[in-house]
Order: sequence, then structure tokens, then C-alpha cells
Amino acid sequence: MQKFSFLLAAMMLTTLSLQAQKYFTREGKVSFFSDTPMEKIEAHNQQATAVVDLSNGNIEFAVLIKAFRFEKALMQEHFNENYMESTKYPKATFKGQVVDFAKIDLKKDGSVTLKVKGTLTIKDVTKNVETEGTFVVAKGALSAKSAFKVAVADYNISIPKLVADKIAKTVDIKVDAALAPLNK
Amino acid sequence: MKKVFFLVIAIAALAGAAAGYYLWNKPHQNISKAEAAHSVEANALFVEFESDEAAANTKYLSKIIEVKGEVSQVLDGENTTIVLATENGIFGVKCELDPHSKVAFPDYKSGDQVALKGECTGFLGDVVLVRCVPSE
Repeated sequence: MQKFSFLLAAMMLTTLSLQAQKYFTREGKVSFFSDTPMEKIEAHNQQATAVVDLSNGNIEFAVLIKAFRFEKALMQEHFNENYMESTKYPKATFKGQVVDFAKIDLKKDGSVTLKVKGTLTIKDVTKNVETEGTFVVAKGALSAKSAFKVAVADYNISIPKLVADKIAKTVDIKVDAALAPLNK
Repeated sequence: MKKVFFLVIAIAALAGAAAGYYLWNKPHQNISKAEAAHSVEANALFVEFESDEAAANTKYLSKIIEVKGEVSQVLDGENTTIVLATENGIFGVKCELDPHSKVAFPDYKSGDQVALKGECTGFLGDVVLVRCVPSE
């Protein structure tokens, strides 16, 4: 995990001498929704980092688990302490590739939906993920949006039987990042 | 005898429900009133995370910390985030302001010297604090 920040810093440094092919944000939004007949739970995080490199289609997201905000303090506590063990596993990351990234045309305002493939790491468990991302170009800025589902059991998250009816087996994840060129 | 038994059960159930209800609606910790576990300059905090993230995590994660420094950026998200400058140039200490706080926030501008108090959530290029309030 530590490697990630190092990698990020290294990636950013190498960009200093390059053209604006890399887009970055430190205020990406990641939300999740757990919806069962018993209970609706949602949490929001607006401190995600994201890097999209349009020279090779690489895309990376990272988020701090403890920075998710819940409406209920108790839910936030259970999420961090029991389910995500966020002191032991403070980060979740996605690393992948935008398939057909060349279709993102920075010279023209517009929107394109492309396949994104990669790996999602939560609680040190890494799984392949495939989803669709919508990339919007407006006035030289790039935004990326995506929604996908994550099966809680895939990532070593155990939900006690007592609350099993209240927490969805698969949660919806939404990602929304407005990126700016990294060209300084 | 039977009556007493049911009464005890009823009282226990009521107490249980009350405790459950209280826990369920437990408010978020009032950061303004919380004692900071550490007080540190933004740059010193950043350097600690940059040089040894694991050690800094052990020391700061989930703790309420007070951080002092110069505002380098104000990010207008759903909740305002104040970025404190460090010697790094690109990265710094991000402080997301507490939306639940009843404290009035000053109108932060870059260049301001500030002291903020919030919960440390870790290192992601920047050191990230959430639920920040002004620190006296």
C-alpha cells in the first residue's frame, strides 16, 4: 500500500517534464450504497485520489477507508472497526486500464462511455473488476464517472448473522472524479 | 410470583430497547470539545507520514489531532476542504471541514495561518484529516 503513494509521487514527478497527458484529482468522490428491505445505508468520501494517463490508458483510484462519512455514528464505527478493520487496512485502491482510451478526445468537448478493466484491492484482497466508465471532456478538463457492484464476501468482510438482513450482500459503488491536467 | 417475573422481563426489555435506541442515534463525536491527542505543524506531520507511513499510521490513525499551518488551497467540494502547505509543493495536509459542526467557520483564504482540529484518516499523497473544526 505504501508503494502506491510512492508510485503516485514518482508518476507525478515524471510528468513534470512531459506534456499534459496525465489528469489528476485529490478530491474525487466515492460513495457506496447498501440497500436491503430492512435498511438503506450510504456513505460518502470526497477525498479520493485519481490519476488518468491518456498516453497509455492507465487509471488509478485510491481512497482512505476512514474518510467515509455516514449519517449515523454507530454505522461509521461498525464499518471501520468490525467490517473494514480500517486501522489495519487504511486504503482501498483500483488500478486498471481504460480499454479504447484513444476515444477520449481532449480537443473536443463531449462524452464517451468506455470499458474499464482492472483490479480492486480492499482489505489486502485483490480481485479483477470490469465496469464501464463515462469520460466527459469539457474545456480541457476531464471527468470520470463509474458505478459497479462489489460482493462483500469477496473481500474478506464478514457480516455477523445478527445484522445479515440489514447489510446487502453486494453493495453499489459510485465513483465521480473531476480531473485537471497535471502539467506543471 | 408470575407477575413479578413478567414485570422484570418487561423492564429489562424496555431498558434494552432504550439502550438500543440511544446507541442507534448516538451522535458523532463533538470534535470541538474533544481533546487533541497530538498537536503538530502541517509540514512536520507530512514528513512523518512521508518517511514512515506505517509508524505514522500507528501514531495518528483515528486520533483527533491539531494541525497548524498556512492555507495553500481551498477546495469547494460538498464539504469544504482546506489544504495546508508543506515543503512538498504538490502535496500537503488536507482538512475536510465538519458538516455536522455547529461552529461557525471563518472564510478561509490561501495564505491564512490556521489551526484546525480533526480526525486523522491516513496518507494518500496528502495526509487527510476529516471532520475538522477550528482549534482555539
